[in-house]
Amino acid sequence: MTYDVYMHFPVIAIMTLFVGAFLVTLVGKRQAARNAIAGAAVLVSLTLLALLIKPVMVDGEIIMYWMGNWEPVEGYAIGIAIEVDALSLFFGLLITIAVACSAFYSFQYIKQDDARGSFFTLYLMLSGGVLGIVLSGDLFNIYVMLEVMTFAAVGLTAFRTWNPNAREAAFKYLVVGSIGSTCALLGTALVYAQCHTLNLAQISAILPGELNPTTVLAFALLFTGFGCKSFMFPFHPIAADAHGAAPSSVSVLISGVFTKTGVYGIIRVCYFLFRSMGLSSVQIMLVVIGCISMFVCVTMALNQHDFKRLLAFHSISQIGYILTSLGLCTGLGIAGGLYHAINHTLFKGLLFLTAGSVLYATGTTYLENLGGLAKKMPKTTALFLIGAFSISGIPPFNGFYSKWIIYQATFEKAAETGSIGYALVTVVCVVTSVLTLASFIKVGHSVFFGQLRPELAEAKDPPLGMRIPMWILGGLCVFTGLFPNVMLDYIIIPATGAVFNAVPYIDTAMGEGYAAAHLASTSPFVTPNYTLLGGWDPLAWLVLFVVVLAAVFLCSLAGRSNRDVNCAPDSKHAVFFGGEEAQYSHISGGDLFWGFKHTMRRYLGFVSGAHTGVTNDYVLWGVTATAVIIAYCFAFML
Amino acid sequence: MEIMDFVKYAVYILIFPGALFTCVFGLWLAGVDRKVVARMQKRKGPPITQPAWDFLKLCGKEVIVPAGAARLMYMAAPYVGLVSLIVTVLFIPIGGLQAFSAGGDVVVVLYLLTIPTLALILGGSASGSPYAGVGASRTMVSVMAYELPLILVLLAVARAAGSHVTMDGYSILGATFSLEMITRVQELIGPLLFDWRLLPAAVAMLLVIPCEVGQHPFDVGEAETEICEGPLAEYSGAPLAVFKLSHAIKMFVMTALFCALFLGGIGTGMLWLDVVLALVFSTAVTLVCMTLLHAISARFRVEQLFKFFWTVVSGLALGSLLLVWFC
Repeated sequence: MTYDVYMHFPVIAIMTLFVGAFLVTLVGKRQAARNAIAGAAVLVSLTLLALLIKPVMVDGEIIMYWMGNWEPVEGYAIGIAIEVDALSLFFGLLITIAVACSAFYSFQYIKQDDARGSFFTLYLMLSGGVLGIVLSGDLFNIYVMLEVMTFAAVGLTAFRTWNPNAREAAFKYLVVGSIGSTCALLGTALVYAQCHTLNLAQISAILPGELNPTTVLAFALLFTGFGCKSFMFPFHPIAADAHGAAPSSVSVLISGVFTKTGVYGIIRVCYFLFRSMGLSSVQIMLVVIGCISMFVCVTMALNQHDFKRLLAFHSISQIGYILTSLGLCTGLGIAGGLYHAINHTLFKGLLFLTAGSVLYATGTTYLENLGGLAKKMPKTTALFLIGAFSISGIPPFNGFYSKWIIYQATFEKAAETGSIGYALVTVVCVVTSVLTLASFIKVGHSVFFGQLRPELAEAKDPPLGMRIPMWILGGLCVFTGLFPNVMLDYIIIPATGAVFNAVPYIDTAMGEGYAAAHLASTSPFVTPNYTLLGGWDPLAWLVLFVVVLAAVFLCSLAGRSNRDVNCAPDSKHAVFFGGEEAQYSHISGGDLFWGFKHTMRRYLGFVSGAHTGVTNDYVLWGVTATAVIIAYCFAFML
Repeated sequence: MEIMDFVKYAVYILIFPGALFTCVFGLWLAGVDRKVVARMQKRKGPPITQPAWDFLKLCGKEVIVPAGAARLMYMAAPYVGLVSLIVTVLFIPIGGLQAFSAGGDVVVVLYLLTIPTLALILGGSASGSPYAGVGASRTMVSVMAYELPLILVLLAVARAAGSHVTMDGYSILGATFSLEMITRVQELIGPLLFDWRLLPAAVAMLLVIPCEVGQHPFDVGEAETEICEGPLAEYSGAPLAVFKLSHAIKMFVMTALFCALFLGGIGTGMLWLDVVLALVFSTAVTLVCMTLLHAISARFRVEQLFKFFWTVVSGLALGSLLLVWFC
């Protein structure tokens, strides 16, 4: 394929989703036709972006597409541009993978819903909006897509209108989300006033040299705007409500994909538009926000009694990892952050889909009403364990590899700068990781293991149509964990390189030499140093594991095996009850980890109490955060 | 040549320091521990081979799977835990002998060591017993408790080892997580235990080891007098034997890790002698941090344990980190 052909792929990938959204409404009440259109649309956009891996990731080309062929005139880019570099493609790929898996899952999942006519319209609008943000090369276009995405997401959150929680969550989302939108719009307007252009590449060339109060304000506003979309602290409570109340296949998008656009926006704003990552104040801001998000949300998650709300808090906790890692501004840091971003999309998607399967099979996601489902839903349990091990960072699953890079990156930064603060960041990351493990033990124990609740005796695994998308995500979790070198070479390192070096991005849009003429320095931020990567080879570990397992297995065969296959319900096979007759007694999720909860009761009580659930409070948090970020930027950036 | 390599790695994996050796040495350590505790309490105590005989006896017993258990998880958990422990040993340098250097990273080892604990928790949880539920919950609390001081200790050691020298062929960035590098640094500057700044960290590590292993007085998860050995309440026969074996091996793994971090670099230059020396150190560390504590103390309550580790032990480790950083 030549450039002339594939330069059209990004725009077609976005268009297909939007066109699909409108076609879905045209076929009337035929659900099969709706499904076919939605399935075709998401597959087409996934295929088109996958075809771009070769030219963009491997060959390092940047795709530039001027809508309506409005090319720059006299040094000003006035047309709308679609510009796809390795970073955009990286986010585009993870978005389309999650969108495709989740769409196929939805076919079965929403069968019983009454309003399913509008589902795929909103779903495809959301997907198109998200994809539009990451592929667009125009700041205002990004804002428009941000709004498309937000309103589709609000609609989908309230999709189950019979559920009062869903309506409430959608309202909160709308109100608090509008703070973010307002900030983004104001920031965009200020940037336009300063640069007289909205093209990302051109702004990246013109803006960095002029750090005046106006641009600092614009930076703070854009940062807050995208931060709100990524649900960073203190915008996280709306995420918990929205993820918890939306249908699971939508939660996958909101948690795995929607939040990533915020992360993408922050990268573009900090590393490209303002090139402000060189300032240690901006690095510290990102790292601190990341650490707070990480720790506060994981402790909130430990307190939750609802499977999906728990997952929602974990999303923000994982976003905290990503922001922290990106804030380090080192080769290892960016690589770790991006790796964790794709891993988070995969394992959190998988976990939300297993939560959806539990809801589908039992009608509840309330932890206290579940238990012992492993006997009835073995396949879902296996998938849940893959997801849980991945998010808790158990080797050799994917979460471990990216977290390990992040630990190394933070500690390397600490050693480089000589600041012990970054070493404490490593400690926060590790502690968050073990608390994550604890909360997934809690879910595993109270949903899948323990004693089977009598009323759940009829539960069974979801149909094949729902299991296949889950297996795809689960398989990708294992793949990205076992073959990190493939991921690094083809996906992560090219994207990391794109983050560091804005010059090709600018020159492709504005013509060769434009960056050199405008930027004070065209050298990359830092020379990325990947020497610490690759010390851990998961594949070698797996080989060793299999060898030793085989040896142990052979020994156990050689020994006298007295396996009792017959599980008759007699007293011998009943659960031990201190000699009494066995009765139903399940240790439910709320009763776990007493020692931890008791010791930390003041902190946990304070944090839970602060999350009042009142929209006004959350708006207050959001506005305060905006004010603090603006004040911080004025104090330390100028 | 290739056949020789193959034989060498087969020996590493299956015999020394892999499967066979870790099992035998772990059981021996457990026997020594029991014997010495008994002598400290003025009892005669069992013969040192007792844990090995117990293991063999249990293997011959009937395996009962409770009717309410999630069968696959219940049966697989002990074996997964055992195998991952044995694999972890291969990454820890024992007296300069490190079977596989790829992945010989303290953070990786820290995470590999959570797999056996996780297997214990999930296996217990899958058995459907309420005792196991309580035990799993308590075991997880003890994991949360020791993880914070452990990472602080590892960071202090990594900083101390990394800040020393730029060695030939390696440029150290002022910190290293690699176990191989930590050992090499100790060959140059002597064992890190003798670095006064790291003394609090070493003490913290000595307290973390029994908690990680689940030894008295930190055995809240298995507390046999309260909750019938918690996660193990329903286990019988070979799976129980495997859990007991894992417990014994964990004593060896943790003490070997301590020796690699703090007592590396003491050696004669003869590999086999160094290995024997390392094993002697392992035994000594076991006697200090597990046997002695076991004999003289009563079990912590679960919230006391958590508080103790997050305040006293973490404080020691953090103090060490600060000293290493600023002195």
